[in-house]
Amino acid sequence: VSPQYWDDVEIGMRRELGSYTFTEDEIIAFARKYDPQSFHIDPVAAKQSMFGGIIASGWHTAAIWMKLAIEGRKRDKDSGRAGPLRSGVSPGFEDMKWLKPVRPGVTLSYTSEVVDKAELHSRPQLGLIKSLNEARDGSGELVMSFVGKGFISRRPKGDAG
Amino acid sequence: VSALLHFEDFPVGRKFECGLYEVTKEEIFEFAGQFDPQPHHLDEEAAKHSLLGGLSASGWHVCAITMRMFADEIILKTANRGGAGAREARWMKPVRPGDILRLDVEVVDAKPSQSKPIGFVTFDCRVFNQREQVALVSMTPIIAKRSAP
Repeated sequence: VSPQYWDDVEIGMRRELGSYTFTEDEIIAFARKYDPQSFHIDPVAAKQSMFGGIIASGWHTAAIWMKLAIEGRKRDKDSGRAGPLRSGVSPGFEDMKWLKPVRPGVTLSYTSEVVDKAELHSRPQLGLIKSLNEARDGSGELVMSFVGKGFISRRPKGDAG
Repeated sequence: VSALLHFEDFPVGRKFECGLYEVTKEEIFEFAGQFDPQPHHLDEEAAKHSLLGGLSASGWHVCAITMRMFADEIILKTANRGGAGAREARWMKPVRPGDILRLDVEVVDAKPSQSKPIGFVTFDCRVFNQREQVALVSMTPIIAKRSAP
């Protein structure tokens, strides 16, 4: 049975979110809007840079995590599995790390594992969970990680589950 | 072309003002459609009934916009050896269609490398909306080259 409420979520629960292949066009389009450093947007300048070629903005790598997480929740819903009742609201994240460059054509596999949970005294109908979110390349090397936070509904009083 | 900023240009306490950035409804929809397709970012009617009480930008979109303001004012003007992440970010207030954001940053830590001609600079970043409410706070490290001795 999938956990529906914060009360059911257990530390150590882990999900595969799926994988994503970055194209050069997408990398450049994202970076032109939000992170216009030459090694993200200009293939010629990127070659001369410390990275030796175009690499994705770290924020692009993180945004793809969000995309895959939402798709995973939708898959759960469509297949009738009750995932956690997420509010969809997050207070933030910690320890965003970009450990290896993400080059065009690279495929990253994303995972999410619950590492902590806490009650919220200010909002007793919600609970907080922290997840360690990771992206790894084809050889299994860690490319990106961060600790995400999310608010999840608590079991209503009187519902024994 | 003015000289690039180096590690020495970032003493603890130095402040910079970055921005402004106007967040349109179209851009909120575009980013959310691509990366964060949740009703409170895409559907005005559904958003009214959400926890945030109305349409708002994806938090990741706000991070990306913050990066843009930071890049234009700091990164692209610095002899920069890259960043490697963000220590912490907190989404404090929803960013609404039409909001005009400003980023105030202050150097809170600056340490030269012991072995290389670079230094590590940490910025306290605060994004304000036009109502002077803090929308995002984050701690962002960069690596800057030292100026030639």
